[in-house]
Amino acid sequence: MKILVIEDEVELSRSIVTYLKGEQYICEVAENFYTALKKIDSFEYDCILLDITLPDGDGLKILGELKADNKTDGVIIISARNSINDRITGLNLGADDYLAKPFHLSELSARIAAIIRRRRFTGQNKIVFNEISIDTVSREVTVHETIMELTKKEYQLLLYFIVNKGKVISKNAISQHLWGDDMNAQDNADIIYTHIKNLRKKLHEARSGDYLKAVYGMGYKFTDS
Amino acid sequence: MKLQTKYNRATITATIAVLLIASIIYYFFLRYALINQIDEALRVEEVEIYHLIQLHDTLPAESHFRDQRIEFKEVSIPEKRRFISKEVFNPLDNKMENGRQLIFPVHVKRQHYTSIVTKSQSEAEHLLLLILVITTVVILLLLAILFILNRLLLKKMWKPFHSTLSAMNEFNLSNPTPIVFEKSPIDEFNALNAAWTQTTQKINQDYESLKTFADNASHEMQTPVAVINAKLDLLIQDHQITEKSMHHVQAMYHAVDKLTKLNQSLLLITKIEHNQFKEKRTINIRAVLKERLSHLEELIHSKDLKVTTNFKESTVMMHHVLADILVNNLLVNAIRHNIHNGHMIIVTSPHSVKISNSGEGTGLDSTIIFNRFEKSNSSDGMGLGLAIVKQICDLYQFPIQYSFQNGLHSFEVLYR
Repeated sequence: MKILVIEDEVELSRSIVTYLKGEQYICEVAENFYTALKKIDSFEYDCILLDITLPDGDGLKILGELKADNKTDGVIIISARNSINDRITGLNLGADDYLAKPFHLSELSARIAAIIRRRRFTGQNKIVFNEISIDTVSREVTVHETIMELTKKEYQLLLYFIVNKGKVISKNAISQHLWGDDMNAQDNADIIYTHIKNLRKKLHEARSGDYLKAVYGMGYKFTDS
Repeated sequence: MKLQTKYNRATITATIAVLLIASIIYYFFLRYALINQIDEALRVEEVEIYHLIQLHDTLPAESHFRDQRIEFKEVSIPEKRRFISKEVFNPLDNKMENGRQLIFPVHVKRQHYTSIVTKSQSEAEHLLLLILVITTVVILLLLAILFILNRLLLKKMWKPFHSTLSAMNEFNLSNPTPIVFEKSPIDEFNALNAAWTQTTQKINQDYESLKTFADNASHEMQTPVAVINAKLDLLIQDHQITEKSMHHVQAMYHAVDKLTKLNQSLLLITKIEHNQFKEKRTINIRAVLKERLSHLEELIHSKDLKVTTNFKESTVMMHHVLADILVNNLLVNAIRHNIHNGHMIIVTSPHSVKISNSGEGTGLDSTIIFNRFEKSNSSDGMGLGLAIVKQICDLYQFPIQYSFQNGLHSFEVLYR
């Protein structure tokens, strides 16, 4: 799957590329408006990460360009501006999602996966990890063909882990994914722990493998290795 | 004291003093002149009497006219010649009146006489009185005119000053409409207005550039923070990282998280200051409270807080995002500063919302509690939550009150 990262901050785009590389994505980088325009003109991408504040042009114009060419690339705006108005402008211009800086790479990865899922043909909404299967449309999780009873938060958590499988996810990233910006990770530490404990218990009861590993008390990793 | 009053007081006191002293001197001069005139007439009479005696060698007939009487008295020793003022009887008016007498000795046929010539002073006194009355009237008239003139003139002259003053009073940094001063015919006021115009322009410019700076700084900070965040996300993927290093990374995550929240809060404050939340709609506070409470449910649960609610219909006109933030910050505040197994009481009325919580310690200082970066030692927050609440309340001119009673910290927002 091809991803285009349009971002003028080299270190940020490099980090994104490094993180996504392990997940069967092919990443290309455009550091400025001009290169970005050339790339979207010549290639098709499954997802485009677009920083709208570029030094040599308004990133929103790239959205217009895509629309004019009838391209169906999925677009996630990554912006330093986090106001409702910017969000609405971006989404109205045809972006699929809006992610304010700073963000966690795991969050970005989950958003990319969601967009790619949405853009695929119907019947392809299943995410499978060994015996665990998640239907993202009906929001059902089955283990060994048995449906699991999960709360909303547990479902979100499991999906988040599986999309970021093999990666260590910090508690901060989990907190931001589940509750957004308006809460402190420290406030949520106990709650996260409780959710993880319950999720692990339910997976265990469904006779799923023990994939959820704590990493030095700072985060979790979902892996079968 | 008003400048005008002070000025009037000084000028009028001085005028009255000068006129009073001048009047007294005037009176005595006039009186002296008039008496002198009478004395002159008496002296003429004296000469005439001497003349008659010399001519006829006999005393002239006594006379008893109204304004002039001549009398002679036989004496053994001649009296000294002198003028005296004395009350004399006026047979015509049948009353006593002031008179002037010239007493002088005459010698007729070896007999000494005292000649007394009396002239009534009443004419002169009438004249004096008349002059005094006229003078007084003129003085009073002068004072009155001076006073009124001062008043009117000063009032008119100070008018531009007062309009400048009221324009300055209406000056508001967050609502930078340029101040328009009236053109005045007085140079001093024009200079004052020019100085003020320049000052306010400078203030507005400085404030504007400060706001833009804060806004830009906050935005520019997001990208480096995003880089740090991304690098930390990559760092924890490293298999070789030790547990000790992980603790450092954890601390860095918290710091970055704080920095992000701080930045977001500052941006929000700037936006409120920029008046970027103009749109208003009717907000059902009860619904907002319920929605935020369900969002915070797990947090409340993790502290085992008992939540008591008494929700009455409560609506307010404001921006929906600000309503969310207002309610959320008050709730988070009540949860974060609560004790384990504590309680929260939320009461809404048609015109207010009150959130109370149990907590450690005694009452807080309500004068500083809403200040930016003001927080208790135990607080893990940034101390901006309540500052934002206050900012939102100020924007809509909602009074917000803090009180501490029966171990409960309460925040109440009133709206119309």
